[in-house]
Amino acid sequence: MDFFEQQDLARRRTGRLVWYFALAVVGIVVAVYLVAWFALAMVGGYAQEPGAVNPYADSPWQPELFLMVALGTLGVILLSSLYKTVQLSAGGEAVALMMGGRLIDSMTSDLTERRLLNVVEEMALASGTPVPPVYVMDQEPSINAFAAGREPSDAVIGVSRGCLEYLDRDELQGVMAHEFSHILNGDMRLNLRLIGILHGILVLAIIGWFVLRSMPFSGRSRGGKNSGGAIAVILVVGVGLLVVGSIGLLFGKLIKSAVSRQREYLADASAVQFTRLPDGIAGALKKIGGRPETSKIESPHAEEISHMFFSSAFGSFGSQLFATHPPLADRIKRIDPSFQGEFPAGVKPVEVTAASLEAEKKAKPKPGRPFGAMLPHRAATPIDPTGVLGQVGMPGMDKILYAAMLLESMPQSLRDAAHEPYGARAVIYALLLDRDPAMRTRQLEALRPKTEELSYRETERLAPLMDQLSGPARLPLVETTFPALKKLSLEQYRRFRENVERVIRADDKVDLLEYTVHTMLLRNLDVHFGLAKPTAVRHQRLDELLPSLIRVLSTLAHGGQSDEAEVRFAFDKGMSQVERTGSVLGKADCSLARLDAALKTLAEASPTLKRQILGACAACVAADGKVTPRETELLHAVAANLGVPIPPIVTPAPAPAVPGVS
Amino acid sequence: MRTGNGIYNKLVALRNRFKNAFSQIDVQLKRRYDLIPNLVEVAKGYMKHERETLEAVIQARNQAANAGQRAAANPGDPTTMKSLGSAEGQLTGALGRLFALSENYPDLKANQNMLSLQEELSSTENKVAFARQAYNDSVMTYNTARETFPNVIFAGMFNFHPADLFEVEEAQQREAPKVSFG
Repeated sequence: MDFFEQQDLARRRTGRLVWYFALAVVGIVVAVYLVAWFALAMVGGYAQEPGAVNPYADSPWQPELFLMVALGTLGVILLSSLYKTVQLSAGGEAVALMMGGRLIDSMTSDLTERRLLNVVEEMALASGTPVPPVYVMDQEPSINAFAAGREPSDAVIGVSRGCLEYLDRDELQGVMAHEFSHILNGDMRLNLRLIGILHGILVLAIIGWFVLRSMPFSGRSRGGKNSGGAIAVILVVGVGLLVVGSIGLLFGKLIKSAVSRQREYLADASAVQFTRLPDGIAGALKKIGGRPETSKIESPHAEEISHMFFSSAFGSFGSQLFATHPPLADRIKRIDPSFQGEFPAGVKPVEVTAASLEAEKKAKPKPGRPFGAMLPHRAATPIDPTGVLGQVGMPGMDKILYAAMLLESMPQSLRDAAHEPYGARAVIYALLLDRDPAMRTRQLEALRPKTEELSYRETERLAPLMDQLSGPARLPLVETTFPALKKLSLEQYRRFRENVERVIRADDKVDLLEYTVHTMLLRNLDVHFGLAKPTAVRHQRLDELLPSLIRVLSTLAHGGQSDEAEVRFAFDKGMSQVERTGSVLGKADCSLARLDAALKTLAEASPTLKRQILGACAACVAADGKVTPRETELLHAVAANLGVPIPPIVTPAPAPAVPGVS
Repeated sequence: MRTGNGIYNKLVALRNRFKNAFSQIDVQLKRRYDLIPNLVEVAKGYMKHERETLEAVIQARNQAANAGQRAAANPGDPTTMKSLGSAEGQLTGALGRLFALSENYPDLKANQNMLSLQEELSSTENKVAFARQAYNDSVMTYNTARETFPNVIFAGMFNFHPADLFEVEEAQQREAPKVSFG
């Protein structure tokens, strides 16, 4: 089970839920109809003139009544589901703000916050996602955390104050790995649907409640002999709606909780897979059990996002059936079989000093522990010459350490600048500058009249530092600017976006790095600022996408080799990965503009298809047994467009794993 | 009722957003308040006869730091934002006079420490201005959302007060710190 299968499974599961939901809605419609009929036929009879015939009393089947009831009920449920989904799909930031989160400043001098940001940054780079902004819920002393957002580009992470204070670095890493796997497994989207659907049913019960509450008034305002009948009708309708809505809600919550608990086990397992440090996440869970505050969240909004949390937001109370999270002890036992159910007493805050932070930076890899019992269905990843695919969404400790190393290798003033909005813009401008001095001057001249004097100076100051930056560290540097850039106001972002395009256009050619950076920025930030919607899935079949795939593979093939026979060989390697054939396009047909159009089409593929596409690209790139920096950049451009996080590619030694290549 | 809940949540989110935006200003302001005593310390060595000016800078800095603390505790509040704005104006004015006078002391102007402090100060000032822009933008969004119908009814019911922009009062005859980059 890898990243793509997870994503697909999450989508399929949502599909099945919608199906269950449809069944439930049919049941509800029938139940509401029966209530309405009963009200009109039996109770409504009281209001009749003596001798008149109640038209409803004859038969329980009244097509006209049924039609009206069905339309009304369906309308209410659909509209309220839609409303809630739209409301929640405002993105991760909105959720974090609703929970009273305070955004941690990337330049923070608070050491516990610094440590958390370090952990998050390393983990994001290791998995190839943009670094998410991190929020603290200062008013929550318990240990808990959540991830929210529609897709990785607008994900945010929120932690409680207790989480900052009481966990050591390994435990923090475990908790963050758990949250990252929620992000990478597509759980956030699943949660959104679930909440929306449940809300639709909830509204039925609410309407019933309102009907009941309005009853005494209608009784008082009218007099006469009809009032008894009217009250009875209202009573029956109100109680009926309340009961039907409540029963529906009950089943809905059961489904939701059951799914949620499975996703939690999965996220725990992925977190261990991610860090290879079972003690970290198990330790965090034990500390939750060992503190009287447990993981309880006080905010009144906790219910709405209860299943996004690391651990139950309602403490350990409540029925198991409705619990959003499996019992703590069960979760710990799955990770640490030796656990006896005894939680540590008197958990103390962990002290973080400047020295301990410094020491953590140079930490040696801890010996990973073998583990396999937790994920029974983990199938072997199919052939993946570059080793990229198997790690998508599941980078492993070596990648985290590699990310930490990359971060360390960046000049300090670049990292500092990337951490605040003012400097982050300059970092991007400077990164886009050409190495050729004449070109660079032209780009700077284009920028000059459009930015404030000092922002321009900052760009000039950072430009020489860019030359010291190693090739593999460039795109990770871009990832680290995201939290700062997301702090721009909409107006500031619009100007920044124009300037980026100005710098790219100024040298009359768009090179690959410029293209990739531009794609990464737009894809992630436009969604955050509400200028674009997350890409929807429009293609389920590979054959619809074949022309686009051929163009992308041709570009990759031309990018890695010049000899015509080798180009064809690499291209065929890629095509054979998806069991299709085609003829390679000429180099002239592989301009960036055309590549871009092709990639935009491929971006609308389903996760399984994206997996095949990336697999084909990886095979094409690795056909000659080596991966050039240009090929790495191209692969990143493909991944950025598809919205698939790929971990940094450690440029490998010529791979013996690809036999038969001369 | 559902719409009411939605409006309430939206207003809360917008309010939290501008508060978060203020914390960006706060970080840079603090950095600025930390730099100023160092700057005065270096200048003291050369500007023996300008004690008054130097003291005025320190005083203005302390006042601004206090106002900054109050504003950070309650961003958007009209009183605190106004007093921060005027304290910041005073500080900028005092610094301007200091830099104007420093023109008369060539040794000071050539001092490496002074140069780097001065440069860092103006870069911080720019960051403040930039963060202020972001804060003001988000305050405007909040205020606009607050005033539209039907939100304005809920805003009144749940104490969503209008928020104030952060505007630095231009001190009279203010001279902008002139930074030379060599």
